[in-house]
Amino acid sequence: MSFLKFIIKNPFRRKNSAILSIVGICIGIIVIVALGGITNGLVSTFEDTIHAGGADFSISGKETGDSAYGTNTIDANWTDKIANVSGVEEAYPIYVILTSVGDDYMNTLIGIDPNGTQLADISMTEGRLFKDNASEVILGKIYADDNNLSVGDSLKIDGEDFDIVGIYETGDSNMAGAVFTSIKKVAEINDDEDSISNIYVKVNKGEDAQTVADRIDSMYGDNITTISSVMEMEQMGSMLNMLRASSWGISLLAIVVGGLGIINTMLMSVFERTREIGVLKAVGWSNRKILTMIVGESLVITIVSAIIGSVIGVVLCLVLAPMMGLSPVFTPDIFVQAFIIAIIVGIIGGLYPASKAVKLPPTEALRYE
Amino acid sequence: MSNVVEINNLMKSYENGHIKALNGIDLTIWEGEFVSIIGPSGSGKSTLLNMLGALDLPDSGSINVAGYDLTSNKKLNEFRAKKIGFVFQLHNLIPNLSVVENIEIPMFTSNLSNSEMRSKALSLLEQVGLKDKASQKPSKLSGGERQRVAIARALANDPSIILADEPTGSLDSKTSNKILKLLIDLHKSNNVTLIIVTHDMDVARLADRIIEVLDGQLVNTSDDSLLENKIDVE
Ligand SMILES: Nc1ncnc2c1ncn2[C@@H]1O[C@H](COP(=O)(O)OP(=O)(O)OP(=O)(O)O)[C@@H](O)[C@H]1O
Ligand SMILES: [Mg+2]
Repeated sequence: MSFLKFIIKNPFRRKNSAILSIVGICIGIIVIVALGGITNGLVSTFEDTIHAGGADFSISGKETGDSAYGTNTIDANWTDKIANVSGVEEAYPIYVILTSVGDDYMNTLIGIDPNGTQLADISMTEGRLFKDNASEVILGKIYADDNNLSVGDSLKIDGEDFDIVGIYETGDSNMAGAVFTSIKKVAEINDDEDSISNIYVKVNKGEDAQTVADRIDSMYGDNITTISSVMEMEQMGSMLNMLRASSWGISLLAIVVGGLGIINTMLMSVFERTREIGVLKAVGWSNRKILTMIVGESLVITIVSAIIGSVIGVVLCLVLAPMMGLSPVFTPDIFVQAFIIAIIVGIIGGLYPASKAVKLPPTEALRYE
Repeated sequence: MSNVVEINNLMKSYENGHIKALNGIDLTIWEGEFVSIIGPSGSGKSTLLNMLGALDLPDSGSINVAGYDLTSNKKLNEFRAKKIGFVFQLHNLIPNLSVVENIEIPMFTSNLSNSEMRSKALSLLEQVGLKDKASQKPSKLSGGERQRVAIARALANDPSIILADEPTGSLDSKTSNKILKLLIDLHKSNNVTLIIVTHDMDVARLADRIIEVLDGQLVNTSDDSLLENKIDVE
């Protein structure tokens, strides 16, 4: 028998107590793993969002504030003014209206220049783009799925039949359930050639987007406002920081609660095995060996917890997160964190009971009834 | 013959000196000797045995066993591991380990490999006649069998001395005789010094020498007269 095997056997002599400790530490590990997966998932969707759209920032009317797809409009000639600001490579307007679409009395219809679609955060998954000023639309995948529509079907918008020529996906929830067509067609439906909702702006290579946005703000800030992804990034960043902080907070809680639980379990175990520890001393085991044994047993419990907790955490996350619209991503660092915490808890939880065992005089231990 | 135990004016008290468990013991034991320690309850027999096995430190006096000075805290683990085999009144086996694994427990202090430990433990089990019970749990054994396992465990590291504190105290007389015979046989065949604490005069008389303890002191007994009374167990 190896020393390791001896250590591994010991914690399971008191099955209920071991299971109770494992459950306790498991819960901590599950939360750490699940939260880690969700945080990572948010980071990656967030990065997708930032990098998918070709636009560096968008422009909206002053009064719409930060509601990017509000119904407030700005004058169509802003597009040319913005395009002429130094540092701007391209500026394309979009026009967002609410109108009757298919069976819906009201849905979002977005008009954009076919050449400007690469600035919007959409990517075609099926079919092709609409042609300019044609009665053609592309549908957000969510809208298409919800309404059982596919490429080749037709869709009635404001009384007119449109051909569905493509399906797109987007990371932008404002546009996921929408319908796109050319901006001219939207102007025609709305009977308003002079208004637009927003302008997508792409800056020249090598220009800093924030600098160009600041430039536009200082020139036209009285009438329009820029919404940069940099701002979104800051908001998102602080949310992620909060998630990370709570993950560490829960880790700390797991260390404290799990540590107390394991100290209790191991103290009971040492107490019950008083005579046995006396025997180990009598046969010549050093204090270091007895310490290693008790801390080792504590580590066996916490490492088993970490393994079970990681598996449950991942499974639970993969099952539950999609229901909440989250897609968790598991990277090795999450499990490293979980195991480091398990090991810390194991060592902390084992040391105090181990020191009790070591201090026990052998004669007292052997006299113990 | 050289002496394996040399004790001079050994003192040990408990409860802040109110209980003088050992009150000036002088004792020499020869290598390979079989000594029994007798005396009334509370006279200090176990205390003396614990001192011999370095389970406790004396207050004063000198004690040297198998070349180790046991008045200081140094190397006591090494001493217990290499020189001493304990047999207690209760077997004190570890319940979740098999018989053979229990015998391997003291060998964790040596640098034997796992397979060397196993084969040595099995040969010890053979010596105590329990080879067929190697993979049993102690709870499946009779009291006498458990005590035989405990004896095998005491021999695990080839000790110079076996210290047995009432090793048959919890056994019936028939089983008790078997265990004693086993201890004496092993003492002879392995040339190991055997020191047994007992209440039983019949057991005590089997020894080469009887030491009587009274109120923490040794009573002068004539070795010769006792040796004459020695009964042969065979
Ligand atoms: N750890 C201790 N703390 C306090 N008193 C102790 C301790 N160990 C022994 N004693 C006392 O020392 C005296 C000698 O005890 P010891 O155990 O050596 O007696 P003994 O001869 O082995 O008795 P028995 O035959 O009943 O086992 C007793 O009075 C006992 O109460
Ligand atoms: Mg006693």
